[in-house]
Amino acid sequence: MKFANSVEIEEAAMKGRRKNGFVGSSMAACVIAALLIGGSGSAQDEKFPPLGPLPPVPIPVDNPMSQGKVELGKLLFFDARLSGDASTSCASCHSPESGWGDGGDLSRGYPGTQHWRNSQTILNSAYYAKLFWAGEVPSLEAQAKSAATGNVAGNGDTMMMEERLRQVPEYVKRFREVFGTAWPTIDDAWRAISAFERTLVSHAKDVPFDRYKKGDGKALSESAKQGLTLFLGKARCVQCHHGPLFSDEDYHNIGVPKNPGFEEDPLRQITLRFQHVIRGVPESVYRKADRDLGLYYTTKRDADRGRFRTPSLRELKYTAPYMHNGAFFELEEVIDFYDEGGGQDPNKSPLLKPLGLSDQEKEDLLAFLLSISSDKPLLVQPPELPPYAVMP
Amino acid sequence: MDFVRAVGCRILSGLLLTAWVSLPAAGWGASLSPLPAPKAQKPAQADLGRYLFFDPRLSGDGGISCSTCHQPAKGWGDGQALSTGYPGSQYFRNAQTLLNATYHQRVFWDGRLSGADLPTLVRDHLTEAHFMLVDGRLFPERLKQIPLYVNKFKEVYGGEPSFGGTLKAVAAFLHTITSRNVPFDRYLKGDKQALSSQARKGLAVFQGKAGCVQCHNGFLLSDGEFHALGVPENKQIFKEPLRHITFRRFNKVIGVPNYMNLRADAGLYVVTKEESDRGKFRTPTLREVARTAPYMHNGVFATLEDVVDFYDKGGGRGPNKSPRLKPLGLKVDERKALVEFLKSLSGDPVFIKEPELPDYEIRELGRN
Repeated sequence: MKFANSVEIEEAAMKGRRKNGFVGSSMAACVIAALLIGGSGSAQDEKFPPLGPLPPVPIPVDNPMSQGKVELGKLLFFDARLSGDASTSCASCHSPESGWGDGGDLSRGYPGTQHWRNSQTILNSAYYAKLFWAGEVPSLEAQAKSAATGNVAGNGDTMMMEERLRQVPEYVKRFREVFGTAWPTIDDAWRAISAFERTLVSHAKDVPFDRYKKGDGKALSESAKQGLTLFLGKARCVQCHHGPLFSDEDYHNIGVPKNPGFEEDPLRQITLRFQHVIRGVPESVYRKADRDLGLYYTTKRDADRGRFRTPSLRELKYTAPYMHNGAFFELEEVIDFYDEGGGQDPNKSPLLKPLGLSDQEKEDLLAFLLSISSDKPLLVQPPELPPYAVMP
Repeated sequence: MDFVRAVGCRILSGLLLTAWVSLPAAGWGASLSPLPAPKAQKPAQADLGRYLFFDPRLSGDGGISCSTCHQPAKGWGDGQALSTGYPGSQYFRNAQTLLNATYHQRVFWDGRLSGADLPTLVRDHLTEAHFMLVDGRLFPERLKQIPLYVNKFKEVYGGEPSFGGTLKAVAAFLHTITSRNVPFDRYLKGDKQALSSQARKGLAVFQGKAGCVQCHNGFLLSDGEFHALGVPENKQIFKEPLRHITFRRFNKVIGVPNYMNLRADAGLYVVTKEESDRGKFRTPTLREVARTAPYMHNGVFATLEDVVDFYDKGGGRGPNKSPRLKPLGLKVDERKALVEFLKSLSGDPVFIKEPELPDYEIRELGRN
């Protein structure tokens, strides 16, 4: 889908918001503006927002960046006290060592549960105007809260987590410096975590494709260059994966195969049904629930069944397995899947058609896809966390 | 029908006992009476409740069950001064015995819930962040994954596992956890040999010189009212970060002003926000008291002797202290007799067969 102006895009971005989601419309506009300004048109892909290096990270007006905030956010990102039983930090399912996901097909979830979706990478999440696989929330701040409190993710009680932060003198000091409050507040914790996440982005100098776009003709192999041509043409990838983020942030049903975990694991079955309950689907839908219905949970429109937000393709070298349910462990499987025209689903996007790629073309496409990832994984050492202390 | 009969029976027996068997109360005008029969329960529902009571899948992370803090072998409490609470937290009050919970008018040390509605008491424990922190929409889906529960819910309610059905089943089980064959009750019913001479002497002190009966009366040996005794603060609440966190979170959620600086458990005040209620706690039952150490809302007293000494000195210091408390001048033998009497309030141990909990099983996908 091509957008005529930022307002239209912003409306699309807000389409998927949930009742309890915080809507930062100015932020969404900011993201879009950045995306539009950041692109530089070229002949081959003028139909779509052009591929190219990422623009500066969009910063919401209500959460400006500062060094102190980023450092605080880094501590909080790794701090398991921001969960129900103090066992599960953001990093538990978004580990630097696993491409800032958790490396599983479906995420591990909170103890006593198993999650139902693939844990997405944090890398470049700063650029999304909608977060989660079905775009349920409009900001990193809302995503952090939703994940930390979700019953199959962090299961944290906001009031309890806030009091935990207040029992840590180092946090009291840092929150006061960064936010100017007498005591840490949980909403500021989400702001700090988001600020940290806004530093976890691909840098053009580290990404072969970005170097290529900036004029280094040798940054891509001949095979990768062939792959780029396929990406923009025969393989049709650019229809949805475009712009600096390689995502249209729109929702598509591509007929991803089922994850057998839902047939075999009681805990996954529990979570699948639970999600249908908490998202308020009609009972008739709950009774037949056998898969993730994606955007449908937000809109309750049958046409939205199985539609998921297009993920970025950046850093995918480090973020296997792929798709909302981790159905594919290898990029080769993903390419084969699209070559066959996607999967089977009544709602499948008409954009998907059998591609007829040769083995060589598949190799070329793979070479290009790998060139959108940084040369080395972006790693961060888990920090030493400040301890609780007795309050005077 | 059973229910109506049981309630009627309870009212009737209460009247009769008050009229016929009440003991001379040495001027306090308060009486003691045997425990009435508990409300009859549907056996299948109570048995379902027994399973659920012991099942940790009713907590958020599957780590604790009701029985973690209410252990049959520890007088249906946890034997600790302050209760443990949900993993990653520590609670700030003593876990009370569940024995005879069916009879209470108010529940919790601060009386914040009605005892007339035990399913709501169960609900509070399941969903509160300091107790079991489970989402009420999540655990029924867990139960649906266990054929035994699917069958038992169908048998009891004619439907699938549910939030409300769970609460009612656990409550039905709790209604069955009552004192049995209590020496003091046998005594009240006419068996004078049921109490030792020491205990009988203690009863006289209880009703007379010590004045215990002023608050500990009726068949529950509790007036169900709220009193400030000046029980010493349990400093662990503020010395142990996890307890202080839970304490603050509780006071914040319930709307206590200036909770960040609160360094004493305000008791009934947290419910009413009336200064005149600060430091007041609900009179606990004395039934089974010999099995339910440590004592008081914060478990500061390890033994019954400690408690008797505390009252003998006229209680402690604190706001709104009850004028009923005065130094008693009890002699050593009177204190011993009093403890003997308190021990006669325990019946046969109520042990419940811990159920063998079945594992989750796979269901056919798409047939929910």
